[in-house]
Amino acid sequence: MPNIVIDDREIEVPAGTKVIDAARQLDIMIPRFCYHVALGSVGACRVCAVKFVEGPFKGVQMSCMIDAKDGMVVSTTDEEAVEFRKYVIECLMLHHPHDCPVCDEGGHCLLQDMTISGGHGIRRYLGSKRTYRDQYLGPLVQHEMNRCIHCYRCSRFYQEFAGYRDLGVMQSANRVFFGRYEDGILESPFTGNLSDICPTGVYTDKPSRFIGRRWDYERSPSLCINCSLGCHTVASARYRQLVRQEARYSEEVNGYFICDRGRYGFFYASHEKRPRRALVEGEEVAYHQAIDTVREKLAQISGSAGPEAIACLSSERSSLETQAMLKRVCQNKNWSGPLFFMEQSLAEKVKTATARLEPGLTVSLRELEQADFILAVGADPINEAPMLALAMRQAQRFGGRVVVIDPRPIFLPFDFQHLPVRLHEVDLYLSLMIKAAVDRETATELGPSAAEFYQTIPTLETAAVPLQEQIATLAQELRGCQRPVIVCGTEVVPQTTPALAADQVLLLKAMDKQTGLFYLMPGANTFGASLLSGDDGSFSTTLESIEKGKIKALIVTERDLFWKYQNKQRLERIIEKLDLLVVLDYVDSETAQKSDVFFPVSSLYEAGGVFINQEGRVQVAPKVYLGGTPIKQNSGGGHPPRVYGVGIPGSEPRPAWQVVVEIGNGELPPDEETAFATTRKWLAEGNPVFANLPPIDQFPDDGVRLGPALDVGSRFSLDWQTERHPKRNSDGLELILVDWTFGTEELSIYSPHLRQVEKEPCLSMHTSDAVRLGLSSGDKVAIRFDGGRVEASLCVAENMASGVIVMPRHRLLEWQKIKELPRIVRFEEIEKVSV
Amino acid sequence: MNKDDLTERFASILRRADRRARERRNEAIPTIYIVMSTCGLASGAAETKQAFEEALSDKDIGARIVPVGCLGHCYAEPLVVIDHPATGFPPICYHQVTVARARRLVRSYLEKGDPVFEYVLGALEENDLIPAVTDFARFNLEQRLVMEHCGRIDPDDIYQYIAAGGYSGLVKALCLEPEELIDEIETSGLRGRGGAGFPAGRKWRLASTAKADGKIIICNGDEGDPGAYMDRTILESNPHQLLEGLAICAYAVGADQAIVYVRAEYPLAVKTIKGAIKSAEGVALLGSTILGTTFSLNVSVFQGSGAFVCGEETALIQSIEGKRGMPQHRPPYPVEKGLWGRPTVVNNVKTLSSVPPIIKNGTEWFRGSGTETSPGTAIFSVVGNVKHPGLVEIAMGTSLRTLIFDVCGGIPNKKSFKAVQIGGPSGGCLPESFLDTPIDFDSLTQAGAMMGSGGMVVMDEDSCMVDVARYFIDFTQKESCGKCTFCRIGTRHLLNILDRITNGEGSEQDLELLGTLSEDIKLGSLCGLGETAPNPVLTSLRYFLDEYEAHIKENRCPAHKCRALTAFYIDLEKCARGCEVCVGCCPVEAIFTTRGRKKAIDQKLCVKCGECAVVCPPEYDAVLKVSPPELAPTLERTPDGK
Repeated sequence: MPNIVIDDREIEVPAGTKVIDAARQLDIMIPRFCYHVALGSVGACRVCAVKFVEGPFKGVQMSCMIDAKDGMVVSTTDEEAVEFRKYVIECLMLHHPHDCPVCDEGGHCLLQDMTISGGHGIRRYLGSKRTYRDQYLGPLVQHEMNRCIHCYRCSRFYQEFAGYRDLGVMQSANRVFFGRYEDGILESPFTGNLSDICPTGVYTDKPSRFIGRRWDYERSPSLCINCSLGCHTVASARYRQLVRQEARYSEEVNGYFICDRGRYGFFYASHEKRPRRALVEGEEVAYHQAIDTVREKLAQISGSAGPEAIACLSSERSSLETQAMLKRVCQNKNWSGPLFFMEQSLAEKVKTATARLEPGLTVSLRELEQADFILAVGADPINEAPMLALAMRQAQRFGGRVVVIDPRPIFLPFDFQHLPVRLHEVDLYLSLMIKAAVDRETATELGPSAAEFYQTIPTLETAAVPLQEQIATLAQELRGCQRPVIVCGTEVVPQTTPALAADQVLLLKAMDKQTGLFYLMPGANTFGASLLSGDDGSFSTTLESIEKGKIKALIVTERDLFWKYQNKQRLERIIEKLDLLVVLDYVDSETAQKSDVFFPVSSLYEAGGVFINQEGRVQVAPKVYLGGTPIKQNSGGGHPPRVYGVGIPGSEPRPAWQVVVEIGNGELPPDEETAFATTRKWLAEGNPVFANLPPIDQFPDDGVRLGPALDVGSRFSLDWQTERHPKRNSDGLELILVDWTFGTEELSIYSPHLRQVEKEPCLSMHTSDAVRLGLSSGDKVAIRFDGGRVEASLCVAENMASGVIVMPRHRLLEWQKIKELPRIVRFEEIEKVSV
Repeated sequence: MNKDDLTERFASILRRADRRARERRNEAIPTIYIVMSTCGLASGAAETKQAFEEALSDKDIGARIVPVGCLGHCYAEPLVVIDHPATGFPPICYHQVTVARARRLVRSYLEKGDPVFEYVLGALEENDLIPAVTDFARFNLEQRLVMEHCGRIDPDDIYQYIAAGGYSGLVKALCLEPEELIDEIETSGLRGRGGAGFPAGRKWRLASTAKADGKIIICNGDEGDPGAYMDRTILESNPHQLLEGLAICAYAVGADQAIVYVRAEYPLAVKTIKGAIKSAEGVALLGSTILGTTFSLNVSVFQGSGAFVCGEETALIQSIEGKRGMPQHRPPYPVEKGLWGRPTVVNNVKTLSSVPPIIKNGTEWFRGSGTETSPGTAIFSVVGNVKHPGLVEIAMGTSLRTLIFDVCGGIPNKKSFKAVQIGGPSGGCLPESFLDTPIDFDSLTQAGAMMGSGGMVVMDEDSCMVDVARYFIDFTQKESCGKCTFCRIGTRHLLNILDRITNGEGSEQDLELLGTLSEDIKLGSLCGLGETAPNPVLTSLRYFLDEYEAHIKENRCPAHKCRALTAFYIDLEKCARGCEVCVGCCPVEAIFTTRGRKKAIDQKLCVKCGECAVVCPPEYDAVLKVSPPELAPTLERTPDGK
């Protein structure tokens, strides 16, 4: 460990640490433009120059390029170095347009800060400035090349870090240009990060353009709830409108970056159509009136048909407080539920995953970047959790191997190996691969059940012939690697896969490897839902009870029943049948519109909340702003806005948990206490896993990872071989419903900007199936489902399993006509639509 | 490795080569060697060759035509050497052999035995009949260690190189331990010929001690200096010497892969080196198990796309990796972590070509030429205002004066010497007072220039030093990769300032800015390109400050070069009545007739192209050029004057 002296202070740093980083550990911020911790150093900008007084290097040198070595003495304040840095700034400013007053970066611009702190003011050099033509880069990022100081951060992030190729460096010398070959929407789903990393205003956040300076905003750390990863964000609001979200550094979860779905998925919070008044039978009423009405009706139903005639349905996107509070109320009142999942098999898979995430196996997203072999099973990272793809890219970039076993046409922005097998074969191929890598002795060491489990795995000959060699080679690599991670999806995979993945990870671990297990889950707080979820009943039984008239009232918190349920007609009938449908939500969903009583609730940004991500990390999102209708919306352009009334316009929504408490005639906790404070103890009583949670104001920034108790009994207990799998269907295609990066997620679809980057929804099938049906890419096809025809264009792909048809749950597709799942689409049900 | 076995295998190849040479001699027909490298082809060697072929078949004379590489005498291209043993003359070298001369040579010399003395440059051997080329300074002051065989052998025929002693260095090297070999190179004192002069032996040792598999040797043939073509000539004229050096180097450091990096703008060099690799592999002198030993070397050619900066080793490596050719920070040096992360030796074409003669003849022989710290020879492409431009190989330590005035014949057209630019765009301009500087790495660096890769531009009194500095900065400015701030922006502003000065818009503050900006570019740039880019400015400021000052303070260009600061006028005393030549050639109709039927220039219209001065008949020589432009007397154009 080298010892280095910087500005007369000594520090010991690990070998290989750059001087600029060593200085940071001493809280000395050496100026930088091109250097970025995540992107590394290139030595382009020259502004991190410091004076090396003693040691192997002498004189003014770049601190980002030189490893700290024993005996180095460095001065950051040496006159020569300061002079040099000043000169760099002067050079960079020679071509900068000085348009800070109209630049959106102004106020949080690194170049602005450095220029002012460096004292540069007067231009000594004559000559015209270099100018460029800007490009249209899509609805998310604004391009303004004249401001560029050529730090290469954008191209390094875009190409090296993220793996996309459509934005990069062009031309040379003084004409170096960063952009695309031609105007067009950027292909990567990580483009918003360009605005974050650009040290000046070349890439600025387009949706928040001209809205305000950073110091105008109410800014607060927040969390992303657009998928299960729980990335850290900073949210900004102005004039009661949420206007911008940026990535927030997280050591454990997302690092420096976030995906575009997370960054631009917040528009539901200030949406024009967001309901802000309580409704009874479609009429706006005062909040307390609505409470009274609900209480009265519930009492009536409870009295006539018993409390179990009232059912509650919670959601994966609700905060832990709301979920817990609903469960408490249900228990107190003896109501049915609450249910947390609409699909029973999904509930089972997620519960298995939650139970099998042993403390020694769990890896965080950042830890996954260190893996040297990633085996993803039934997961489509770019579409289901884009930041996972970025983490996998890092692993791949540093030499790791990525293998995906999945029937879908998987795209990842880097080289990986894809075994496109049918869903029911996923388990088999995962097991084949592990068996080929782990030897029998190792399995036997884990005990008789493991040995028997190992024994039941068939030999490699069972695999399809073209894949045998590939699996053997990959298994060989897997055997040689040190830090393998299995990534397992929970949505499309068979019931058995999550447990099987955990078992296979245990086998790998027995080979003295530092093994990791990483599950993907469908919602931001699925983990919480799974922990609170009881064993009593499923949504389909609830539906049957409603149809039979046993359940007469349904309370739905923050969920759109129609969003992920495949039988729209049935839901409509059921809502007709119900005596009372109470909906609490912050978006104007179809369910909300069909409710008898509706309560507007606060969004994450107004209420804050506790969320548990897919690795069991409990994280807190504080409040960002007070809420209310954005001034822009309620002033109607008038100035000054004139609305007469008491309080902030549109501030009726309350946190969902409060509404839940009030519906259940409970007592609200005193104002300064949060729901979490009151439920923490109750949670711990119900499940010991919550026992060590700190109070909400003492939560560490990266949250607290829950450690579920070891469930040794369930290890290797799975008899996955005897599970009845659908035989290969010769007269039809297995339907797989999937998520896409944009257009299938419930909240982000409210973003007008993301709607512009959505791809047109299409069905995917394998070339061989398309040939058999006489179809080709781009054809418009219709599928006759039991609920009606669904039309979409077709994508024919080579990189997917044959015998399946993949359909996104896209907002523009009426896939809810499917009616029954699982579903085999017979060939005669697919027809070409002539245009 | 069995040494006897090895030498025996090579001996059989050598026997084959000798037999072929003997057979050729025994045929006893004339041999015509035509210089067919790029410079020869540019001056019409292909047509010359065709003319020879046609004339020979017309006359039905049996003769062998052998295309050879470059002799370095560019001023005399197309060069032809005719060896006609039957006449009793030694091989004779002819200059400027055009199509007509070729026919005449066939008619007179080959048919009738008359050697056509007026076309003779000299005989290649000492004799009593024809003066030998070695009597000329251009030949006898040169010392050809590296280019010994250039222009003497057919580059496409490996046996000619072998017959001339080629590949015996490799055989000798394979009999040594790699360690001994590196010692040998280290004691020879061979320094990298790419410009910086880093000791080759030390580089090899660093690479050989690096513990890693798959070491790589890269031959840097990305020659980009304006006016420099040494590497191209070697690649085109004697590729096997380079390949031999490459193989010796690979053996010494333990590499099994070598890449020859050549610019795609050198199609002939690419073709020649590719052919050479193939034929060397054909006789097991390259490829797997060379000469039956365990040593294998896979050589491939990589064509660069012509970015000047790719001559910098780290940028070159990036470019081979398929990335943007941008230099990387060193350390890590390529010898530790180079191409694909493996230890890589990057050596210049000339460095590697120097290796075989050193191994063959020993270090003492090599140290016999040159100076103590820079042994061996230097190859320069001397261009500009000299009588005999071309490639010159001279011993290190030779003075600039000898090189320019003796070897290259001095300044033509009775002009006087002004400056010499050494080391290409990154070198410096040295004035007359430095003419006695010995040419070696250290002396040139001390003088403010640098050895560079070997480009040398000689300038006479008509060169404006500000304009020269501007020219070179314009070049580096365009060739900057755009990575680091100073090189990208600083050179652009150096150019802006120089543009202003040459346009007569400079201020005294500009001189100060030139100095400080240049110093900062030197200090702050990432790679050698930026670090050396301001050299032309710094040296011209140091040695020719008066010219800068004349531009700025007096609005005068002392060399009468900068257009904005000069003017043409017609001396009425000298102008001939009635002559209309200048009027006819003026592209902008700025010349009009005065009352006395003499001519005058309308300064408002004149674009200073200088055509009138060119066409004015020498007996009048009436068009004069002055600076500053105010010195030109103005004659008002009469309303009816044309």
